[in-house]
Amino acid sequence: MLKCALAICRKDLTLILSRNAGIMQALLLGLLLVFLFSLSLNTGDALSPQAAASMFWLATAFCQVLIFNMLYASEELCGARSGLLLLPAPVQSVWLGKSLAGLLLIMAAQCVFIPAVFVFLGQHLADGFLPALAGIVLGDLGMAVSGSLFGALAAGRSGRESLLSIILFPLLVPLLLAGVRLASLGIDPDPLPGDPLRWIGLAAAFDAVFTAAGLLLFPFVYTGDES
Amino acid sequence: MDSRAPLIVLEGVSKSYGALPILKGVTLSLRPGTISILAGGNGSGKSTLMRIMAGLVRPDSGTVTRNIDPAGMGYMAHDTFLYPALTAMENLLFWARAAGILSPEARAREALSATGLARRAEERAGIFSRGMAQRLNLARLIMGDPRLILLDEPSTGLDVPSRSLLREIMTDFRSRGAAIAWISHDLEEDSGIADAVLTIRRKTLSIEERSRPC
Repeated sequence: MLKCALAICRKDLTLILSRNAGIMQALLLGLLLVFLFSLSLNTGDALSPQAAASMFWLATAFCQVLIFNMLYASEELCGARSGLLLLPAPVQSVWLGKSLAGLLLIMAAQCVFIPAVFVFLGQHLADGFLPALAGIVLGDLGMAVSGSLFGALAAGRSGRESLLSIILFPLLVPLLLAGVRLASLGIDPDPLPGDPLRWIGLAAAFDAVFTAAGLLLFPFVYTGDES
Repeated sequence: MDSRAPLIVLEGVSKSYGALPILKGVTLSLRPGTISILAGGNGSGKSTLMRIMAGLVRPDSGTVTRNIDPAGMGYMAHDTFLYPALTAMENLLFWARAAGILSPEARAREALSATGLARRAEERAGIFSRGMAQRLNLARLIMGDPRLILLDEPSTGLDVPSRSLLREIMTDFRSRGAAIAWISHDLEEDSGIADAVLTIRRKTLSIEERSRPC
């Protein structure tokens, strides 16, 4: 299963990074969000750390939808979905491969968004960057496993972009909440009171629930049956 | 297991899409070393039957028994299963690695040579004509050295030499003990190599055994 998943991940990264402009669209959308919010500030002003962290996760969430739409759309172009379903490996390897590819692409996009948040929204590094880093890693993992599951659900259906957003965004609320609170610790010199471990626990629980859901539900979601 | 035992057996298979019945009580078996041509008009349920045999579609009733490891089955459809942005070689390497085929590079090169695409290995599949894409699809299929081969209109878009190549390759697979089911709209041409012609008419299947010339 792991070999198959790695092969799918490698193929998807080759397709998207070297041959497809789609990742640029995701990056530009995220950067545009951050930049537009920076225009609402007066010269020399900075956005509050919580608002800046929210912008960061908003950009990441839009990026996630575009990335998983791209990852699954490539399988519909020449009917490769049937080929994937017939591979001599559990069908969950498709979910795992797409999750891995999605995770790497989301992290790559964040490598662009993080400096943009510091530069355009006037943020500075604070003491709590370790819990912030944990929040980003757990948040990305949650976005990858949930995006891969629901991306498969929307694949091949008309209006899949809006369908994926409609399904995904309400479910992401607990993860985004934890992500915003933890990420703001990394840029807020005077953080809101509260134990960061509780937010880390919430993000980890989200990841565990959607990893289990992916493993259990993916064979029912990604099928060749058109009836 | 008996080497002549059927590689796949369908018993009383029925399938409907909504209220529309497609197949009713289809029973058939495919033995090693045989080519069975599947014929029938447009919309008669040939592709649905093939997808049921492949395991892509679940029948509403009846049973499908495959006496073969999933790695031993090859399926080639009208869709080419290719990624247009990848080169021919990259496409084959992906399918080989995902299927766990040993020495993927060597197998991919062999398959490209066997289908006459060796010199086009580094070209993107997106610029291939329909016939070339289908030859690449054939290369993908033969890389896995399957024992049960399901072909859903594989000749679509192929020119005359490519069709001959396809028949040649399938005849070779048959001689090595593969069971082949082949949907064809060109019975005159393809039934020459058939051991049986299966015809779907009014949702049911009739089987006509053919004697093979020595």
